[in-house]
Amino acid sequence: MQSESARMTTAREASYRVQYPNSKPRAVKVIALDPASARIVDEISKKSWNGAAFFTAPSFTTEETPGATGSGLKAWLKDLAGRTMDLVSEIEHCDFAVVITTAGTDARAVSVIADACALYHKSLVGLVVPGTDDSDAAVTQSMKHLRPYTRMLVIASGTDYIEAMLTALRA
Amino acid sequence: MLKKEQNDYLCQTGPGTPMGNLFRCYWMPALLSEELPENDCPPVRVKLLGERLLAFRDSEGKLGLIDEFCAHRGVSLWFGRNEDCGLRCPYHGWKYDVNGQCVDVPSEPAESGYAKKIKLKSYPLIDQGGVLWTYMGDPEKQPPLPEFEFSTVPLNQTFTTKRIQECNWLQAMEGGIDSSHVSFLHRGDLSNDPLFKGAAGNKYNMQDLSPVFEVVESDGGLLIGARRNAEDNQYYWRITPWVMPCYTGVPPRGDHPIHGHFWVPIDDESCWAWSYDYHPTRALTETEVAAMKDGKGVHVKYVPGTYRPLANKDNDYLMNRAAQKAGKTFSGIEGIGMQDASLQESMGPICDRTKENLVGTDNGIIMARHRLMRAARALADKGTVPPGVNPEHHKVRQAALLLPRDVQYKDGAKEALVARKGVRQTSV
Repeated sequence: MQSESARMTTAREASYRVQYPNSKPRAVKVIALDPASARIVDEISKKSWNGAAFFTAPSFTTEETPGATGSGLKAWLKDLAGRTMDLVSEIEHCDFAVVITTAGTDARAVSVIADACALYHKSLVGLVVPGTDDSDAAVTQSMKHLRPYTRMLVIASGTDYIEAMLTALRA
Repeated sequence: MLKKEQNDYLCQTGPGTPMGNLFRCYWMPALLSEELPENDCPPVRVKLLGERLLAFRDSEGKLGLIDEFCAHRGVSLWFGRNEDCGLRCPYHGWKYDVNGQCVDVPSEPAESGYAKKIKLKSYPLIDQGGVLWTYMGDPEKQPPLPEFEFSTVPLNQTFTTKRIQECNWLQAMEGGIDSSHVSFLHRGDLSNDPLFKGAAGNKYNMQDLSPVFEVVESDGGLLIGARRNAEDNQYYWRITPWVMPCYTGVPPRGDHPIHGHFWVPIDDESCWAWSYDYHPTRALTETEVAAMKDGKGVHVKYVPGTYRPLANKDNDYLMNRAAQKAGKTFSGIEGIGMQDASLQESMGPICDRTKENLVGTDNGIIMARHRLMRAARALADKGTVPPGVNPEHHKVRQAALLLPRDVQYKDGAKEALVARKGVRQTSV
């Protein structure tokens, strides 16, 4: 008699897998950390997404108490319509966050986002996008900024990769 | 998650498919040298990328990989007589050389030149490092020979096996890229397997079960770094190289031999999982080779006389629920190779990726898929030679090392990630 594993791993048996949506739409916050990555985020946001929300952070500040954590953390984002949003609230209601920085730019704002993620136990993925003439040193510097805070850090080859990644993650 | 058409694009490697065309740009392992051990030995059936082929070694030691079937009446030449520098079909005596050229049609006068008009499809087959490699693409575009370190060190420093895996190549290969599963599926083997145990770096794996990942592109594919906390403000890095389309290296442990894999499609529902072990600077010891032959490390025990694992789907992979319950193995399956294969085969012949739910730490897999699709499209649209064809891309090494926390592994491990003749691997 055939073993259970042999019987159950055929293409025919695969066709009997229960067809249903096995996950709920997830809320993903995609945050650009600098003007160049803001342009990338703006472009990507025009595609069709399941529940991703896109933000730029040109006036990324902490209110009154820089470096504050926990309930003292106050910081603000801007969405693509230009509305100011509460970072902590956005993170609280997301499933995970993605930060994007262009190599060689100041990515230290990630620490504030990371604090918010830590507050609500959310994963943070970091993407570094090298420019066409960025040096290795610029990439290294950006990686250094993001490394302490991200569970996954990727040097993205370009905007097409960012799209592929967000699609793969059902963003 | 992939759309169905993307999944099909990546998984189908038969003639004329985009991914099949991509695979046909590379030299790939086809057989072990031991399968054609001497001149005029029996021919061996080979199926690669959905093509039925036959390998043989002629009377002068020349190697051939040709269409399996006689051009006359379609008989399998596996029944052929390997003699006098050719393979003769036993049905009507038609004979072929290693290039597939018909050299004799007994029913026709030799002077007629009829035989010269018959030629079977053939591919080059070369012997390197105990492996017979083939290139199945356009002869005009045949690249230089492969230069993977495992197949270029002296033969007493390397040991390679293969096993059939009964699922699509991609789900098998993705296991080689996805190092996050090691802390679960293979956790028992770090302290027990003779080819892993005793390495100082093992303690970091055991202490920190939540590695953090960094993925960077390399010229030939990807470098996937997994870092764990270590003492003295350092990280313990394990860096996995992937060379397109289907080579993966496993970061080393101590002075144990380095191992890794090739994942070569047989057809769309099965693949060869090639497993190598080598040491860059010394001969493998008798004890190490004995362990490898006994199925330890990344190797497996076989059904006698075959390259099918002894633990396979027909016997439920020799599932041992007691060992699973006792924590001796995490999945109940013994041996790293079959722990992986059993789960990957359980996905079905071709994994339905429309239903998967990836997370951020799966970025290595996401990027590998992306690079494969991008390369296949560039090949189709512009004829661009894909990454990993250039032999310089093969000279990459896996590494395991301690680095200060503010150092990027691509910089800090730059030398460690390059295969250099006579230089020991970088390993903790």
